[in-house]
Amino acid sequence: MAVEISNPNLRLSKDVVKVWTINEIIGNGIGFLVLGVLFYLDHRFLWWEWVGWLLLVATGISVITAIWDIFFHPKLKYKHWRYEIDEEYLKLRHGAINEQHQLVPMSKVQSVATKQGPILRRYRLYALSIETMGSSHLIPALSKDEAFQLRDTIARYAKVTEEGE
Amino acid sequence: MGYHRYSLWIIAFDSWKLGKSAIFFLVYFFLIKRGSDSFLFVYGRPAVLLLLGLSVIRIVLKWFTHKYRLDEDAFHLKEGIFTKSKRTIPFNKIENINEHTSFFHRLTGTTSIIFETGMKGDEAAVEFNILSRAKANELKERVGTKKETEESVVTVETKEEAEREVHFRAEKKDLLKASFTSLSFLFLLPLIASFYSKLDDIFEVEEDAEGLVSQLLQSGWLIATIVVLVILISIAFGISRTFLKYGGFEIASDSDRIYIQKGVLDATKFSISKHRVQAIEIHQTMLKRLLGLAEVKLTSVGEARSDEQKLESNSLYPFLPVHRAYDMIEEILPSYQITRKMDRLPRISLLIRLLKPSFIWIIGTGVLWYFKPNVLPIPWWILSVVLLLIVSVIRYLDYKHTKYTLNASFVQFKTGGLSTSLFLTKRSKVIEISVKRNFVQKWFGLASVDLVNRSKPIHHSAIEDVPHELAGSFYHWYQGRGKEVEFIKR
Repeated sequence: MAVEISNPNLRLSKDVVKVWTINEIIGNGIGFLVLGVLFYLDHRFLWWEWVGWLLLVATGISVITAIWDIFFHPKLKYKHWRYEIDEEYLKLRHGAINEQHQLVPMSKVQSVATKQGPILRRYRLYALSIETMGSSHLIPALSKDEAFQLRDTIARYAKVTEEGE
Repeated sequence: MGYHRYSLWIIAFDSWKLGKSAIFFLVYFFLIKRGSDSFLFVYGRPAVLLLLGLSVIRIVLKWFTHKYRLDEDAFHLKEGIFTKSKRTIPFNKIENINEHTSFFHRLTGTTSIIFETGMKGDEAAVEFNILSRAKANELKERVGTKKETEESVVTVETKEEAEREVHFRAEKKDLLKASFTSLSFLFLLPLIASFYSKLDDIFEVEEDAEGLVSQLLQSGWLIATIVVLVILISIAFGISRTFLKYGGFEIASDSDRIYIQKGVLDATKFSISKHRVQAIEIHQTMLKRLLGLAEVKLTSVGEARSDEQKLESNSLYPFLPVHRAYDMIEEILPSYQITRKMDRLPRISLLIRLLKPSFIWIIGTGVLWYFKPNVLPIPWWILSVVLLLIVSVIRYLDYKHTKYTLNASFVQFKTGGLSTSLFLTKRSKVIEISVKRNFVQKWFGLASVDLVNRSKPIHHSAIEDVPHELAGSFYHWYQGRGKEVEFIKR
């Protein structure tokens, strides 16, 4: 019996790295804004001394995670994201450090939809969400043609049910 | 065929329920606080009466407006006083049948029946709160036979003539064992305590009681007698409680359904179609392991009304002798096979388990360090070490108990530290899987697998730190499920 789990063969759109980077910049920006406000309040209302130290530590950690989130993580994530569909299964694989393989039978897919937020729209990308009986899966970024084609293919494959349902 | 009204008894039944919940307010507003002229009670009294009146009117209107109809293959329900609604529930969506005969039903020669489906929400089940026994049997027949004709097209096994076979009947010996294992004799204590505090509220007996107790404590003989008496009463109470609850317990099956019934005063009958069983679990708490008992649970999709009910209705007898449990599963569900011999985890996963940071220990130590309790004449850090030891022992037990096997179309996991649980399901009943590896696991060549079964909500079962090769073969095993399921094109 084969033991290695073969990687699915399709990748996300390359632009997803930019999308994730922008997302992280916004998210971390908000985080730093909150920290800034806290620093100001600390300065203005003379909170206890240890609050200041705590804020400094939090800032240090935030800077490190921000660098990781913005410059490294999107690329790594892109490098490890794979998906594949065939008549029977949807296969997903993602995660660089904590990797995860998911295997979902097509007959269990209940609905499939494309989604687009403002950042995805800027790069003409679509996210594809696939709902099953128990969970929902998201393929984060595909080009318009790929996304629509994949959506229709999954919808066609998902048209089967199993006995007893 | 026209629509039927529900039985007239439903008015009596609903009024009984209303009475039970209203009695508290009536007593409170009209007896206990009858002298009070606070505006809450002055206006409250007519309000209570008004609400009561409205509820009674609602009950009567409900009987007039709620109707049902059965045709060849579905229930049709009409309901609503102002907003009308019509529902159609096809028989083939019904996952299991739950018949409950409470004391009230028993008095009136009726019963209640719930047909549970796999849908979510309030309207997922077809409920008949009260109906005659004959009618209940007729309904069960209608739903059951319909399913059989549909199934016979798809199932491969040949069907013998349905003859109900009894697999287990709780005898006196079993019930005695059960009453000790469930520690039900301890239930008397909270009962006495709550009774006492209620008594105290009304009559303020505390002071008298204190005097009485201090008098009693002076005589050694009296204390001994009282202790013995209390113990005897608790045991008798525990045993009778178990007998009432599990007396008449019976597990039976025919070629395509499983029937479980139990209870003496409050009788429950539960039945589920065999091919709707999604998975089997065998639970053993520590005490049950020592006594060689086990609880078998069937995972099914149908929703029970409450968690407690679900726990109880899906469970075969909770105190089965363990060997009998294994045999019985194979008797009842011949399409399931239990593999007795399972694989152990590799040594290395014990190491991972022990090294994983334990939040209980970290938080516990933090708390101990901060408060430095002085209750015992030992320094706080010893308590922290003891805590770490307990955590480690539980983790070691978990490692020791965790076993797994993949056998043709079955997967079988056993997990758990103090109480263990064996999980068995078929490839075709698993709706999704995932394999995860974090960086430590990658380092040591291990992985965790997670599989999802249909239930409500969905049922996750996971096994941590298995060898990476097993995770791989698990993934491939699941890819082969197409061979076992029959597809129907929509």
